[in-house]
Amino acid sequence: MATQAAHASHAHAHAHTVKRYKGLMDWLTTVDHKKIGILYLLAGFIFFIVGGLEAILIRIQLMKPMNDFVAADTFNELITMHGTTMIFLAAMPMLFALMNAVVPLQIGARDVAFPFLNALGFWTFFFGGVLLNISWFVGEVPDAGWTSYVPLAGPTFNGTHGVDYYVIGLQIAGIGTLLGGINFMATIINMRAPGMSFMRMPMFTWAIFVTSILIVFAFPALTVGLVALMFDRLFQANFFETGSGGNTVLWEHVFWIFGHPEVYILILPAFGVISEVVSTFSRKRLFGYSSMVFALVLIAFLGFMVWAHHMFTTGLGPVANALFSIATMLIAVPTGVKIFNWLFTLWGGSIKFTTASLFAIGFIPTFVLGGVTGVMLASAPADYQYHDTYFVVAHFHYVIVGGLILGIFAGLHYWWPKMFGRMLNEGLGKLTFWTFFIGFHLTFFVQHFLGLLGMPRRVWTYLPNQGFDTMNLISSIGAFLMGIGTIVFVINVIVTWAKPRNAEADAWEDGRSLEWSIPSPPPEYNFKQLPLVRGSDAWWKEKREGKTEMTPAEPLGPIHMPSPSILPFIMSVGLFVAGFGFMYHIYWLAGLGILITFACMFLRSVFDDHGFHIDPEEEVHA
Amino acid sequence: MSSNHSVSGEEARRHKVEGPQKHIVAFILSLALTIIAFAAVAAGDINTTFTYIILVLMAIIQVFVQLAFWMHMKDRGHLFPIICIVAGVFVVFMMVIMAVYWLWW
Amino acid sequence: MSAHGHVEGQLPHEPEKATLEGRNKILGFWIFLGAEVVLFGTLFSAFIALRHQVLDGPHASELFELPTVFAATMILLTSSLMSVFAVQAMHKNQVKSMIWWLVLTVLLGLSFLVLEIVEFNTYVSEGHRMNTSAFSSSFYTLVGFHGGHVLFGVLWISLLIAQIFKKGLTVVTAPKIYLSAIYWHFIDVVWVFIFTVVYLMGKVG
Repeated sequence: MATQAAHASHAHAHAHTVKRYKGLMDWLTTVDHKKIGILYLLAGFIFFIVGGLEAILIRIQLMKPMNDFVAADTFNELITMHGTTMIFLAAMPMLFALMNAVVPLQIGARDVAFPFLNALGFWTFFFGGVLLNISWFVGEVPDAGWTSYVPLAGPTFNGTHGVDYYVIGLQIAGIGTLLGGINFMATIINMRAPGMSFMRMPMFTWAIFVTSILIVFAFPALTVGLVALMFDRLFQANFFETGSGGNTVLWEHVFWIFGHPEVYILILPAFGVISEVVSTFSRKRLFGYSSMVFALVLIAFLGFMVWAHHMFTTGLGPVANALFSIATMLIAVPTGVKIFNWLFTLWGGSIKFTTASLFAIGFIPTFVLGGVTGVMLASAPADYQYHDTYFVVAHFHYVIVGGLILGIFAGLHYWWPKMFGRMLNEGLGKLTFWTFFIGFHLTFFVQHFLGLLGMPRRVWTYLPNQGFDTMNLISSIGAFLMGIGTIVFVINVIVTWAKPRNAEADAWEDGRSLEWSIPSPPPEYNFKQLPLVRGSDAWWKEKREGKTEMTPAEPLGPIHMPSPSILPFIMSVGLFVAGFGFMYHIYWLAGLGILITFACMFLRSVFDDHGFHIDPEEEVHA
Repeated sequence: MSSNHSVSGEEARRHKVEGPQKHIVAFILSLALTIIAFAAVAAGDINTTFTYIILVLMAIIQVFVQLAFWMHMKDRGHLFPIICIVAGVFVVFMMVIMAVYWLWW
Repeated sequence: MSAHGHVEGQLPHEPEKATLEGRNKILGFWIFLGAEVVLFGTLFSAFIALRHQVLDGPHASELFELPTVFAATMILLTSSLMSVFAVQAMHKNQVKSMIWWLVLTVLLGLSFLVLEIVEFNTYVSEGHRMNTSAFSSSFYTLVGFHGGHVLFGVLWISLLIAQIFKKGLTVVTAPKIYLSAIYWHFIDVVWVFIFTVVYLMGKVG
């Protein structure tokens, strides 16, 4: 009784009246990383469906020769929006969903370093994505490819507002991504639980750490590239206007200085997911932990020195081409280290074939295929043959869909109980895997041969009897199968939703890292008491010693929480409004949008966020 | 992290004694480096390549001085700031090579 | 030299690092500066690539006036020193002198901006506009981005001065002061490269 009263008075002493919202307002104002993770997942998955539909339309058009299902200019818009949507608005947000849901739990933290920025990052991404997709309704859609090469994307050859939507939408979404990268770097450096040294961090956390570094150092280049293109298009600047002394190759360089690290931003988190899933379901320690860490860092380092392998045919001269060829081939070494380590982790393990582990095991050979074609493309002279053919399309879909998307599916099935407190249905999950996996290989395996036969990429249609007909039909059938796999996943989610929320804390019983030591889903404050980490695979270690919970590193007490805020939402709306103002040269509107954003920053700076306190003991009694 | 947590009395005293002298030294150093750079250009009759080398050298030294003294990068607990700046400079280094040697090839 | 320690009601020696929030902010800000290095680096490499593409517009060596640039450089350098003194005053818990140093920082920053606006105006009247050539576009974008950063810094530090008046120096306001100083030095560091690469090298040709 006495302690009760003491706690109550303690909580009272810290009582600041913080308004706590319910329902929709709760989701608009949340700064809780778990809820932001769910928002990222929801938004990312919606964009995944949009990008997927665009892909299906592309494959319907290419199903038979001389098809006229869509017009040629619509086809250009479809391929542009498919690529842009899938990379920036589907894949990256779903990765951010996993990192938000899992990383703070894995390092034993109550929240990320900057909860407010976390929410701001989500909303800027969301409004950037919405702005980009509004182009469909306006009828002026970006159509210069996802790389938006000038001069095709420049004002001379692209007079409509299509590319403006690309430039401004990505600029706004890019702010969100950069904020996320800064946030997770700071979180992982500063917020680890006592005893969690860098070399005790779970491999997924390591992957996210390295990914965040890549985001921080790659995205500013994109920002500048987009600013330059925007100035060219809106204010008659001459960065890429050859007639006025500009240089079109500059765009290619700047885009790929960002673009190649971006590829690793996409794949490294998938590597992290696979490491976790493979090790959990083999019920073995991850083989070669330190070499895995080293490989991650090396890939990130080399990732900044290979951008020009996207530009071999531009003509950079023999020295540059040779350097970039060699650097690119070098990346195969650390990647190979990772592949072998996963295989050795599986070796001799008592493997459980859950949906998550099927996706992970399917990932390994698929990614190897994508990697092998990558080394083929790295050879500059050979690249002159492959360049701009379906061989390239097959290659990057093998690494991005066969690598990243399989990784995301593995991660979603694995962490679903932790995020939502419900186990996904295993039967439907396996159906998702087999349809998606077979569909994927049907779609893209034949595209290697289409490319080697000489079918160029980004063409609207092709003539019959060139040997392209059958393989294109097979490819389209595969695409439908992938679509079915995705629908089965959606059905699985809906079916799971109807079931009781009864997932165990250690949902797979073989959990190794800290997230499995707390309830599913975790309480708002994650850890009642911060855990003491006594080795790598912290939770596994405690379980092996017969413990049922982690050793606490602090006494029980009221927990400080950041207050919810609507400002991130309004700030993003401000940027969204300003984007339209700039695009249509309505400068009062642009000014208004910028003003809204800065006013929110002003408010955030002036009014201190005192937060509020939760007493875990009281919650139990209540 | 925890290293920042408890500030020892000794360190506090050392910091207190330091005063503005070293910052004024850094300022005078920056001033001198700037003047050398401007003078090299104003003189006008020096070989162009040699002037470029002087300019770049002066700029790099000045940046080191400012980062170390004014942005406290020489102080303890600045491992990650150093890593961040060095990584950024590494990326920029690649880009400058691109702009100078490969872009107009 | 009074004894220094964690006496109740007194600020710790380095108030900006006293709380986890403060330490997070400092680390996060350094990471942000790493990103800024790449941002300015990309602008620089675009400028370096395009600086000889002047077309019919004036060449850098005809355009730039060394005395103006030298004055701007001195102003920014001095203002950087002022903000160092502000942080030193903060560490000694001398709020009043800290505010004075901050005010001087802002005033010098403002005069830098005025000088830059006048300079840009002159260039425009000499036929050196955003759309004149690739050189002019990359020049205005690079130097303009830096100017925008100076403007943001001036507004930010002014807001912080007002906050110090209202809230005093606390473990909440101290990290903000510290970060604004780091930001201000960073702007000065970027300017070192701007006057070297843009102005002096432009003058040399």
